[in-house]
Formats: sequence, C-alpha cells, structure tokens
Amino acid sequence: MTDTVQTLLEVPTGYRSTHVARILWQLDDQSRRLTEETRGLGVRELGWQFAPGTNTIGMLMTHIAVAEAHLTQVGLEGKADSDLPSVIGIRTDDDGLPLPTEGLPPAVLEGKDLAFFDDLLARARANTRRVAMQLTDSDLARQITRHRPDGTTRIFNLDWALYHILEHEAGHFGQILLLKHLYQTTHARV
Amino acid sequence: MTEVLRNFLDVLPGFRSREVSLFVAQMDDQSRRLREDLQGVSASELAWQPARGMNTIGMLLAHIAVVEVLWTTVGLLDETTERFEEVLGIGRDDDGIPLAAGSQPPTVLANRELAFYLDLLERTRAHTKAQTAHFTDADLDDVVRRRRPDRPDREFNKRWVLYHLLEHEAGHYGQILLLRHQYRAGLDPR
Repeated sequence: MTDTVQTLLEVPTGYRSTHVARILWQLDDQSRRLTEETRGLGVRELGWQFAPGTNTIGMLMTHIAVAEAHLTQVGLEGKADSDLPSVIGIRTDDDGLPLPTEGLPPAVLEGKDLAFFDDLLARARANTRRVAMQLTDSDLARQITRHRPDGTTRIFNLDWALYHILEHEAGHFGQILLLKHLYQTTHARV
Repeated sequence: MTEVLRNFLDVLPGFRSREVSLFVAQMDDQSRRLREDLQGVSASELAWQPARGMNTIGMLLAHIAVVEVLWTTVGLLDETTERFEEVLGIGRDDDGIPLAAGSQPPTVLANRELAFYLDLLERTRAHTKAQTAHFTDADLDDVVRRRRPDRPDREFNKRWVLYHLLEHEAGHYGQILLLRHQYRAGLDPR
C-alpha cells in the first residue's frame, strides 16, 4: 500500500500575520471535519434531544456560528456590540443556549435541515476570515474590555479571542460527535 | 467591587520556542478548566455510561493522557518505542477506546477515583513539556512519516501534532462537560 495521508499545518495565503493565518487553518480544519461528520444527518437527528433541557446537534451547530460571529465582531473588530443578523441572518439567542431545565429546542430551529446549519457556519467563517486577514502580529496584543450584563468585566486580547474561537468550536464538535453516537446507539436498539 | 475576568495567553517560561510555549499554554488552559469542572465528581460518575458502548468520563480522561503521550512520542520525537507504562503506568489500550458496541468500560478503570485520572494528566503534561522545551520554531516545520501496516502511510508536520494535542483535549473536554450534565440531571435517553 503506497498511498500517504498527509496532514501539514500550513500558512494559508492572503493574511498579514502568519500566526493568524495558521489559526484560521486550524479553524478550517475543525470545520472541514465537522462538515464530514455531519453528512447524512436528517432533520430528526439534528433536532433530537437526549432528554429535555439538553442541547441538540442543530443547537450546537448554531451556537458555534453565533459565538464565532459574536466574538469576531466584539473581540477581533472591537465593536461595542455584535450585529449577528448582518452576518449570519439570525439573532444571538436563536441557538437556544443555555437551555433551561426541561427546556425544548427553540422553535426557530424546528425542522431546519443540514443545509441551514451549513450555511450559518459558512457565513460566520467567511466573516471571520475577512476580519482576520487584516490583522497584524501587533494587533494580537490589543486588549478589549467588555462590561457584561451580570456586572462582571472581562478583559482579553485578540490572541486569546482567536484561541477561544478555536477551542470553543473544538469542544462543541466533540459534543456533536458524542450526540451522533448516542443517537445511533439508542435508536439502533428499537 | 466589580469582578474582573482576565483572559490572556501568557508565554510559558523555559521554552526555546514562543510558538511551542503558546501551544502548551493553551493545552494548560484546557487542563486547568477541565480540573475545575471535575471538582466533586465521584467514582460512580466517572464510570457512568449514558448507554452501553458509550465512553465514560474516566475513559475519556485516560484517553486524553494516552493520546498525548502517543503523539508526543511518535509525532514530536519521531520514536517508535512506546512510553505508556513508563510515563503513565497504564497500557496503550487501557482507556478502552474505541469501545465495542454494547460494551462496558474496561475493568482496569473500575472504581478509579478522580485523583487517579488527575495524576495521569499531570504526568502526561510534565512529559510533554520536558520533551518540547528545547524545540525551536524551525523544528515545527519538520515532517514526520509513519508507516502503518495495512493502512496508508501517514505524514504530518510537528506543528500539526501540537495543534492536534490541543484540539483533541478540547474535544473530549467538551464531551466530559456533556456527560456531567447528563449524569447530574439523572437523564435517560428518550
């Protein structure tokens, strides 16, 4: 057998910062694998809850797009607040997270198919890429201060924000894989 | 007094490469939050399966450790000798992953307390740091080729290995959070 599976973390072109370019490569790697792993999921599986109060795969895919679009606007761009409808066409709360105990998935996601969630993720990433391409290495140290509704203040820099977008997607991608496995396991028994 | 949360990626001391240090700092951030989120977890919760054939929190913790030792050894050091017993005191397959359909967790992990798993993770990270502290930025461009019986060869650069260690831990950390949620709510799949 002579085929070779090659995985090189490379520097995509078009970026002002090599560091930022490599992070976008990592984000795109997560999204490529998320896309591969979700092919074939139907509306029923995307909207399935393990139990009331728990997230569905569709909610998590929406949440990844919502969080990425929000963090790009308030973190990387330094805007006072995000305007998600202008980027992904839905509002911040439309992912339904956090779901209250016994909560059901949000009505706005009911009946949505894979193409809907794919589109959210693609639009969020296109916006992130557009913004990230303009960042320089010196931008990464820029600090952002956010006063949150719960009274706390959060201070972070752009380097951390990029890391957070990546690890946030990776964590929820892991959860999507678990839910997919659990759905197939429990539904194969009946 | 207003609570202030600070999120920055700090370069770790003792590393020749800033890039390697930042990757390890991100891994440390994942591990710190993982430890915080596991406070109070019992041995029974660590061994709980949402359904037969599904991973437990304990299995995932052991898996994070095993995989980090594996990739550090064969990926970053380009060695063929396995170091699982030497570093962890458990074998490569003792995480029980992948678990066969309908199976229960491996007996080697039965009744293990959190301290056992935290020790695995601590030993693993100490090993990773010791082996990567001397790396230079240029080392990360090195391409490693692994020959695999009955499967295509695999080729990757060392930068990708560090990214993989990070996203692998992040993905399973996300799954652990989901399992804790399911367990605490006393949920059964519907």
